[in-house]
Amino acid sequence: MSDRRRLLVIAAAVALLQIALLVSMIAGRAAILRNGEEVTLSVMPVDPRDLLRGDYVVLGYNISSVPTDLFAERPEGTESGERRTVFVRLKEGNGGIWEPMAARYEERLEPVPGGGEVDIRGTASAVWFDNTTSVSIDYGIERFYVPEGEGRAIEADMRQRQFRMKVAVASDGTAQIKSFHDEEKMLYSEPLF
Amino acid sequence: MASYATKVKRDIARWREAGLIDAPTASALSLDVERNGGGRVSFGSVLSMMAAALFAAAILIFIAANWEAIPRLVRVSMLFATIAAGYLGGAVLKLRGEDAFGQGAWIVAAAAFGASIALIGQMYHMSGDEKQAIFVWGAGTALAAAMLRSGPLNVGAVLLGAVWMLMHGFDHWWSMRELPYAYLLVAVLLYALTFWARSVTSRHLIFLSLILFGFLHYWRDESLATPLVMALLSAGLLAFGEWRPAQAGRWLALGSGLPVHALLGFLTGIGIIQIALVDEQAFLVPSIAAFAGIIAALLLAGQENRMLRWLAYAAFAFQLCFVYMVMLGSMLGTAGFFVLGGLVLSVLAWLITRLERRFAARPLEGMRP
Repeated sequence: MSDRRRLLVIAAAVALLQIALLVSMIAGRAAILRNGEEVTLSVMPVDPRDLLRGDYVVLGYNISSVPTDLFAERPEGTESGERRTVFVRLKEGNGGIWEPMAARYEERLEPVPGGGEVDIRGTASAVWFDNTTSVSIDYGIERFYVPEGEGRAIEADMRQRQFRMKVAVASDGTAQIKSFHDEEKMLYSEPLF
Repeated sequence: MASYATKVKRDIARWREAGLIDAPTASALSLDVERNGGGRVSFGSVLSMMAAALFAAAILIFIAANWEAIPRLVRVSMLFATIAAGYLGGAVLKLRGEDAFGQGAWIVAAAAFGASIALIGQMYHMSGDEKQAIFVWGAGTALAAAMLRSGPLNVGAVLLGAVWMLMHGFDHWWSMRELPYAYLLVAVLLYALTFWARSVTSRHLIFLSLILFGFLHYWRDESLATPLVMALLSAGLLAFGEWRPAQAGRWLALGSGLPVHALLGFLTGIGIIQIALVDEQAFLVPSIAAFAGIIAALLLAGQENRMLRWLAYAAFAFQLCFVYMVMLGSMLGTAGFFVLGGLVLSVLAWLITRLERRFAARPLEGMRP
């Protein structure tokens, strides 16, 4: 193969490798939307932000703060659980909103979730002190991107009414936003792609 | 720099034609000039890099705007097309001899790759994954640099690596509780890549990022061990470059930048110690070390290195003022200090002119035993 041909083939290979990686990222997320278990959470706005990725509303959920007495054990170590993985077991409660019922650092909860239960994976965002009564947890679903300039309006509406989020949870616990509801009305629904 | 490299290469070609050296020697010499001399920096390539950076920023901001008029699947496809067109088009341009434009096209393609990662995060409302996103972007860019043997892509990967390291601080308002030691491994890998991609710029940036890493490490720990290690490593680096120039050329290949980085790292480390000990008697110890280090660097490597001389002079003046402000501080003292400073500088100037005359008189092969 001549040098000319070789450089073109390598350039094509680089493009294909990068595109293949991106496609696999999209496919992974679409798989969660398609196959994940669906849970409904109540949602409130934290504040709207603007960053390189665009306008988004920062969201908090009814499961963003988990009481310490639901945890199997207190975390050990210097950072006392901060930035550690947490698994939280959810069960459908009153009014169709799912509530936390148990939680554990680093490891999956036992026994495996029964019918009507789902384990969701998050990261503890604060240290567990002696007087801590609840642990803040991020699930990777704390943002909702909106078209440029719409962030403030949605945030204002959310302060007035009760909003809900339907979230798909993969079997490994990864959460993915599925649809956004203003009381009974659906505001946004995520297509697979 | 560029004119020097061009000139030497022209000379090498002439020697080759005259039969003074053989072809393998000529190509080895040209390669060495390219590696150590900064190489082919021309005005045209600088402009094409700036154009590529503008296109890259435009792509990223366009994605951030989340413009609904174009469906997101179309936006993804547009980015994929940009990636493919950028890499292939860059290869075509390079084959036609338009190296600068080819590299620019590759940079645009790498930016489209990063924009795609951002767009996927936006599409699926992902949060808390920015560090990972930047890491994947940097790794993809490094892969492209390795496969295409591209210096500018290598620079891009180094910058993304440094951003990844810095982002660990943004999480908690600069408290720097988390600093990835994995960055040291990233730096070594990217350094190895610079030899393949022939990117001197990347090497300099990696050294600067390592100095920054040391600084942040101290910020996190507040232990004086960090700046001490920095200062010692830098002094070792300078010594290595002076007493083992052949090995330093082969393993670090920084050319005249090596002593500059070494002095900068040394002064950063010593400066941290000075500030930490500013209210204590022991302040004098690092201050004396700073002056000793500056003068040692000047004597060891200052002769053929203008940049090092400027850094040494600037650091010297800064140290004089800094030490004075800490040690004395009254109005009368200030006047006295300036008289003293003037005297010291006169003596120094006399010493430097004497030294430079001696350096100039000494034959070059006597320089490095």
